[in-house]
Amino acid sequence: MNRDVFVIGVGMHRFGKHDISRRDMAFTAGMEAFADAGVSFADIGTLYTGYIGGNMLEGVGFAKDFGLTGLPVIHVENASATGSTAFREAALAVSGGACDVAMALGFDGQLRNMAAAGGPRRPSMESNLLPAAFFAFWAVRRMHDCGTTVETFAKIAAKNWNHARFNRYAERQADKEITPEQVLAAPMVAYPHTAMMACGAGAGAAAAIVATREVAERLANGRPLVQVLASQMQSERYQPGHVFLGAIVGPSESTRITANLAYEEAGLGPRELDLVHVHDAFPIEELMYYELLGICAEGEGDGLVAEGATTIGGRIPFSTDGGLIGRGHPGGPTGLAQIWDVTQQLRGESGVRQVEGARTGLAHMMGAGSVCVVHILQRV
Amino acid sequence: MKVPVEEGYFRISPEGSPVLLGSYSPAAKTYFWPRRKRCPISMEAVEDCELSTRGEIYSWTFVVAPWLGSMEKAAGGGFGACQVDLPEGVRIQAPLEGSMGDWTIGQPVELVTRTVGEDEQHNELCTIAFRLLGAAS
Repeated sequence: MNRDVFVIGVGMHRFGKHDISRRDMAFTAGMEAFADAGVSFADIGTLYTGYIGGNMLEGVGFAKDFGLTGLPVIHVENASATGSTAFREAALAVSGGACDVAMALGFDGQLRNMAAAGGPRRPSMESNLLPAAFFAFWAVRRMHDCGTTVETFAKIAAKNWNHARFNRYAERQADKEITPEQVLAAPMVAYPHTAMMACGAGAGAAAAIVATREVAERLANGRPLVQVLASQMQSERYQPGHVFLGAIVGPSESTRITANLAYEEAGLGPRELDLVHVHDAFPIEELMYYELLGICAEGEGDGLVAEGATTIGGRIPFSTDGGLIGRGHPGGPTGLAQIWDVTQQLRGESGVRQVEGARTGLAHMMGAGSVCVVHILQRV
Repeated sequence: MKVPVEEGYFRISPEGSPVLLGSYSPAAKTYFWPRRKRCPISMEAVEDCELSTRGEIYSWTFVVAPWLGSMEKAAGGGFGACQVDLPEGVRIQAPLEGSMGDWTIGQPVELVTRTVGEDEQHNELCTIAFRLLGAAS
């Protein structure tokens, strides 16, 4: 970062299956972020809107609900990493000096099933398999190579469901604790993954406002500052066994490469993290990211699950707001929902989900195609 | 007559079998599928080639969903899918014929066509799939 960048405000609209319009959700999340930051739309220098559904007019169109100030508005789209990419662009705009305050606003409606969308998938080579199959391939191979059991996948999913129970913005807010046995008893989606292991696919919105140190200090009002220590993005690099057609997120190695760049930029390592968010569309991903992010050695991720290390209260909590499995995963806002939770955790504002003494958090997202985005935030 | 659902990925031999259309990079000594415009490793030119139609299962799953081009689940509630490593070092993912319990990692498989619809000239639109070597069609 050329200039230090700080998160000064975050906001959300609850994720879930409802009929609230994208426009109304975006407005709610944006206004909450303004209130959290103590700024108005007139203070925003550049707005990055992130969405996958909808039409090309929505980003700049929805911004009119906040005001007409003439600010640049840019539509960002990067599959599941759309919100993370919008946040990165906002941080880079402030870091590079284009503006002192920038905003990222992500929103999306819920995925429609085939019948609602008007029929079966149009036959093509790219759509030969469903995305669910891709992560199931990872899971079956992991079971073969490392002896991972379906119970381990169920424990990760149950953990994330239970983290989401206490997140008022999560799609899945179960009224009772979810057990691994319930997760395993759910209908199969793609072996070994059941429906309760698959990410939520509802609607939602989230926003984050970033600013220079001078602005952040002026608006702090006694709250700790949250600095963006690193922002890194990588597209794919060739790996042996590279799948070019229907690969969804490309080689898992992308996560290791991007995370290492982020650790280098931040000047710290995985041992200094207090909480982590990842692209846990299925539990196999979270399990593999324990190792690819350097939280533990290769093949030791199953042990982390067994000891409860990645649960709130454990030594390195993952997906503290429920993750994609519990909080949900509309494409546009998911990466910003991660920033919302990490920021609140670092400020000590997460209530019963609070990670004690949290000082440094990492947010990781994958976007189909594919890209990997990693941000490291720290309380200063 | 069988025709590929999309051109450029495979051709159908006169005997009705699928043949994968790949690329070879002399600079990187590496094969790719589907065809590349340039070598993604060396960024140099690539040559067109055809790839093996037999390989080994790298991973597999059973997807509980309707088959491509359909609104109805297949018999058994879904379909198999796999990633297969070809002898050239190429990994391909495609549907896998058979039933849950039939497959293990490392099993030899062969490429076959699978019909997903019909075009306006009443040709059979085909995609590719794998089946265990020696399994009945």
